[in-house]
Amino acid sequence: MTAPSIRKRLLALLLLPAVLILTAGTLSDYFTALTPYRDAYDQALFDAALAVSAHVRPDPQGHPTLSLPPDAIAILRYDSYDSIFFKVTTETGAFVAGDRGLPQLPEAASNPARGFAQYHGEAVRLVTYRAKRATGVLNVSVAETLHKRDRTRSRILWSSLAVDICQLSLVLALIWIGVSLALGPLRSVEAQISSRSARDLTPLPREAVPTEIESLVAALNRLFVTVRATSDAQKRFLESAAHQLRTPLTGLQIQLELLTEDPSAEPVRERLAMLLEATQRLTHTTQQLLALARSDEAGNLRWEFTQIELSEIVESTVADRISAAIGAGIDIGAETEPGAVQGVRWLLLEALSNLVNNSIAHTPAGGVVTVRCGVTDGAGFLEVSDSGIGIPVDEREQVLGRFFRGSNARGAGSGLGLAIVAEVAQLHGASVSIDSGPEGKGTSVRITFQQIPRLLT
Amino acid sequence: MRVLVVEDDPLVGDGVRRALSGGGFAVDLVASAEAARSALDTESFDLVIADIGLPREDGLQLVRSLRSRGKIVPVLMLTARDGLADRVTALDLGADDYLTKPFQVPELLARCRALIRRANSVASARMTFGDLELDTTRKSITATGKALELSQREWAILECLILNAGHIVSKNKLMSAIADWTEDLTLNAVEVYVSRLRAKLGGAAIISTVRGMGYRIDEPRK
Repeated sequence: MTAPSIRKRLLALLLLPAVLILTAGTLSDYFTALTPYRDAYDQALFDAALAVSAHVRPDPQGHPTLSLPPDAIAILRYDSYDSIFFKVTTETGAFVAGDRGLPQLPEAASNPARGFAQYHGEAVRLVTYRAKRATGVLNVSVAETLHKRDRTRSRILWSSLAVDICQLSLVLALIWIGVSLALGPLRSVEAQISSRSARDLTPLPREAVPTEIESLVAALNRLFVTVRATSDAQKRFLESAAHQLRTPLTGLQIQLELLTEDPSAEPVRERLAMLLEATQRLTHTTQQLLALARSDEAGNLRWEFTQIELSEIVESTVADRISAAIGAGIDIGAETEPGAVQGVRWLLLEALSNLVNNSIAHTPAGGVVTVRCGVTDGAGFLEVSDSGIGIPVDEREQVLGRFFRGSNARGAGSGLGLAIVAEVAQLHGASVSIDSGPEGKGTSVRITFQQIPRLLT
Repeated sequence: MRVLVVEDDPLVGDGVRRALSGGGFAVDLVASAEAARSALDTESFDLVIADIGLPREDGLQLVRSLRSRGKIVPVLMLTARDGLADRVTALDLGADDYLTKPFQVPELLARCRALIRRANSVASARMTFGDLELDTTRKSITATGKALELSQREWAILECLILNAGHIVSKNKLMSAIADWTEDLTLNAVEVYVSRLRAKLGGAAIISTVRGMGYRIDEPRK
């Protein structure tokens, strides 16, 4: 089933009656035009009948006779298109003159009587005139074949059809154009909505909107306000959740860290170390869940996109993870080429930081982790490659999903790191690709942006 | 070394206080910006550690009011939020460094020492970094009491690294620290001086290379 279309409805509602009205008009024109021409032709037949009746005179025996010379009869019978017949009889039906077989109309209320008849196997128009003469009442019938009448009738039919078809086409075209023009404002509202970005929830302008769809636009604007309010509330909630969760976790972590070092805690040191590790894992997972919640596009959160220098993201991330890398005996480095994208800074930091954490966790001491950025083929990219244990080829798709951990994953990861990377990338219209690292060893994960970045000069 | 900690969360506040005490600092803990201001009006501190998310008046307002009243005490901001805006605002308002929660104790101590060292390098000739002791006027240095012989440029590089301890120092920054009018230096020269410096320091301080970004100095792990 297709969606209802206002254009189709309007066209159906306007076109059908228009076609009916025009067809009725054509028919009425046709029938109106038929009457006068038929009367004119009948009048000619009647005139002929009058002329014939005027020349019927009594012969010496008192019988009526037609006293027309053959030339006059020839003139009477002459017609370019039709054959003309006539017959004169007495009131009793005795034949006087003309074509003997020509039928006569029965006595009718009107005089002359008009009608159709068959003669020599052909349809004829017949006029019978009852004339009172000295010899008594005469029936004079004149008939003609229908060729000229048919011709005229079809001329009238075709000419009125032609005019009406022109009218109909014109009306159809006008309706089509009118409906299209009338629907113009709808299309412009539609264009306005479809051309805006998914994050744009500002109200639609109501000035140029026709009254019929003003309430629709108003309803849309109300919806935008609601969505925006919901999104803002969710954003505020997530901001505050981040704060509310991080502060106690920080406290726990510091206290446990200090207790582990405390000489008086010797008997319970092992248990404290376990608590500290669990707290660190909890902190890490909390951070990741918050990041995931906040990068979730389905959550309709509207983050401000700004111009971001990729090298700044790389350098901040490396500076942030340097202690962890040095602690793990890993040679960490940055290779930055100028390049910028439109993005949300902290989300990109979060994504890159997850990639670097993964690399540090899965690269043995003495290994190398390199964070890169730049522009290839007009698209900006961020990349982290390592000389670590690598991700099996058949798991490279799956690791981007939530809670999936590679079969050779190390440490107590949550399985969320690469999911965050994938969601942040998606939010930025970027793609994530996983390959082997340099020389076929380790892992190289690249986030490639779609936009053409503005190069730094 | 006296530090004022402004933190309203008791667990974090107590943790920071204990961590700093363990690191050899004298610590005062207050829970609000108002209390911090009155403490700073009556006593003198070498460093203020302030949480951004304080009740009523937040940490950013505290920094602004301190700077507007001419207090030059170094300030380290703590925050549980990860927005860039906070960090930029904090540094613009006059904070000297910024640490995001959760942080680890060694990181906190390194940042605190670096801030105090930097502030004191103007006023005092003596500077310590782990087991290293530096005399900035006589350009002499000892490692656990034993004197080290450093060239002028090695000294300049070490001083620059120590004053920025806890952060990565770019090669360009180190180059401008050793550049003079007489000689054109290349970035390779920086590498040469750093490797000589490493050899002379032995294990007294660790200079890590961060490829593509620069160097970072750390105290040796005990």
